[in-house]
Amino acid sequence: MNKIIRWPGLIGFLVIVGTISAVLILFLDTWIKIAAQSGLEQVTGAEVNIAEVSHTFSPFGITLRQIQLTDPKSPQLNQVQAESLSAQIDLAPLLLNKVIIDELTMTGVAFSQPRASEGAVYRDTGETDGNSFTEQLAENAPIPSVDEILARSPLKTTVAIEQAQLSYDKHSATLKQQYDALPNKEAMQEYKTRIKALTETDYKNPVELAAAKKEFDQIREELKKDKQKLTDFKQAASEAKQDLAPKIANLKAAPGEDYDQLKRLIAGDQGAIEDVTRMILGDKAAVWSDYLLSAYKIAAPMMQSSAEQEAKQQRNSGRNIAFSDEAELPDVWIKKADISLSWQQEVIASNWQDITHQHEKIGKPTRFNIDSAASSLWQSLKVEGDFRIAGQAVSANQKWDLKGIKLDDLALLDQEKMSTKIQHALLASSGALKVENGVMDGAGDIDLSQLSMTAMGSNNFTKVIAETLAGLNALKIKTKLSGEFNDPSVSFSSDLDKKLAQAALQNLSGDQTSKLGELKSKLNAKAQGALGEKNGQLDQWLDWEKLADGNLGSIEDMLGAQFNSVLDKEKDKLKDKLKNKLFGN
Amino acid sequence: MLILAKLLKALHSDSGPWSLAFGVGLGMIMGLTPLLQLHNLLLLFIVLFLRVNLSTFLVSLGLFSVLAFALDPLMMNIGESILTSEGLLGLWTSLYNTGIGRLSLFYNTLTMGSLVVSLLLAPIVIFASKLLVIKYREHFLQWVEKWKVVQMLKGSRIYQLYQGLGG
Repeated sequence: MNKIIRWPGLIGFLVIVGTISAVLILFLDTWIKIAAQSGLEQVTGAEVNIAEVSHTFSPFGITLRQIQLTDPKSPQLNQVQAESLSAQIDLAPLLLNKVIIDELTMTGVAFSQPRASEGAVYRDTGETDGNSFTEQLAENAPIPSVDEILARSPLKTTVAIEQAQLSYDKHSATLKQQYDALPNKEAMQEYKTRIKALTETDYKNPVELAAAKKEFDQIREELKKDKQKLTDFKQAASEAKQDLAPKIANLKAAPGEDYDQLKRLIAGDQGAIEDVTRMILGDKAAVWSDYLLSAYKIAAPMMQSSAEQEAKQQRNSGRNIAFSDEAELPDVWIKKADISLSWQQEVIASNWQDITHQHEKIGKPTRFNIDSAASSLWQSLKVEGDFRIAGQAVSANQKWDLKGIKLDDLALLDQEKMSTKIQHALLASSGALKVENGVMDGAGDIDLSQLSMTAMGSNNFTKVIAETLAGLNALKIKTKLSGEFNDPSVSFSSDLDKKLAQAALQNLSGDQTSKLGELKSKLNAKAQGALGEKNGQLDQWLDWEKLADGNLGSIEDMLGAQFNSVLDKEKDKLKDKLKNKLFGN
Repeated sequence: MLILAKLLKALHSDSGPWSLAFGVGLGMIMGLTPLLQLHNLLLLFIVLFLRVNLSTFLVSLGLFSVLAFALDPLMMNIGESILTSEGLLGLWTSLYNTGIGRLSLFYNTLTMGSLVVSLLLAPIVIFASKLLVIKYREHFLQWVEKWKVVQMLKGSRIYQLYQGLGG
């Protein structure tokens, strides 16, 4: 046996294996840190920092501390950061590259927090923001001439004239054709004369009577045909009237509406006024939407990670071929997670179940909920939802109801031309969000009560905005979430837009006012011409309809005339003659 | 020079031809396949635990590692064909769903191709090596011993050092 076996070799083998194991274990925390950082960097495309890593063997678990994920869109901010993350990991599935975590605890989670130094970005986010607030706040452009405004503005008056003309053209030819085919005054008179002659003649013999009956029936047939023509015409005229009348009404209202719109245009940047809610909220809008979509932000990187792994091929060291995964376990499955979000000095606890990106393998969606009792910063916070990822498609539901959130000294906007700040307000928000096949559809209300704002503007336009904002004591904002799940768009609207437009109008200069007067007269002239013409045409249709109504009544009367009475009269005469002959009276 | 010294020492030692031949064969397997793989741990155990000649193993490992650079594309193609073969799909799927299968990285085309190629070549290489060792010792050993180069080599510090270390 000793000729084959080399016992010192066994010791050598054990020493080699032991040394490798010792090095691995000794630097395990470092390996985990490097792996976690590089893995997360691949997913987010930006620098990831983990301050410290520790592990336990029984049960196998790891703890990461001071985790910071740079926001690739704003590298001076952390997209997400957390104080600590502890996870207990099942070892057996790990051999199959399955990360199954029974329990995960994450504390001090916060979004969009400033970084100590700007993080590196490894991947172009491809985001361009061509509609910055600074652009919107540009000095008001020179006032355009009345003719320029009329030429470039989508005027309602012009559209209304076109629509009225289209409606008239649509019905005019048919109605004229039908009207020409109707029986005229002479034809109606002829019908009456013929019927009178037939019913008042004293017939001498049955042959004459039979001929008269035949002629009477023929007249009835002709009358029925003309009646049908009149009925059809009446129907067509009624439809035409119903079509044209509202268009004429629109045409009457259009110059007034155009005038209001042009007033806003001449007063300032209409686009800026319409989007003022978003502008005033500034970067805070992005932060709030981040909180709203925080649940999905956890899921999105998982999906990207999965797709990227499949796309990656290493030709120089061979290609990894993926066979069917018979182990009915998802690649990543966090069965239970407690995640604590930090907001100001308060902590918001959230509970999660079954976090994964392969829900078809576990047969249930990821669920999450926040139900936070009253604190010094809010009265109540309730959020609940679920989401399910199948391939690259996401379906999700989320509801939220937040009450009495205190906002103090919250800077909204700090730009050269304008700065806004909420001194104090109570925020309430409720809404719902649904995602179907990756497309988001959601709406919510943000209600700011007990509002006290300060705002400063440096040019005419921003001064008007600032004055309006300073006078607000409440603000209701409607939010709408739409777009692709991976690139959601959040829009804001409020009655602030109208208030600002009115305020801008009150600040018009003399030159602007005289131009508006000129505009008003041009618009009225434009509308009146078309209105007079179309009103005349409508009146003609109404006359035709009245005439057709009269003729229809006459035809009804004529059809009501009975030839039977003539027949009965002749029958009675014959009966009398027969009696005289038989009884000799 | 160290490689040549190792080889000469092995050939001119009392080690049996099988020991030398297995050293060459196992060195070839480890040299052709990617180094950090589970099967290489098993090879290391065999090499150290059994009386496989370490000198020929190390020489073979070095030479075949260099040769592997040229053979990699061919071996990857062979691995790809084996792993995508319809008839073997069931076997690979079962293996893929085991912990040992995943750890072995058998599903990598280079790992599979190089392992299959080296395992097929191993018996030929081992028998050929044994034959060559026997022939060398019969016909060339005495002759080579007389070479001035060999005598210089055997007298060099490196050879002495190597021998002193028990290589």
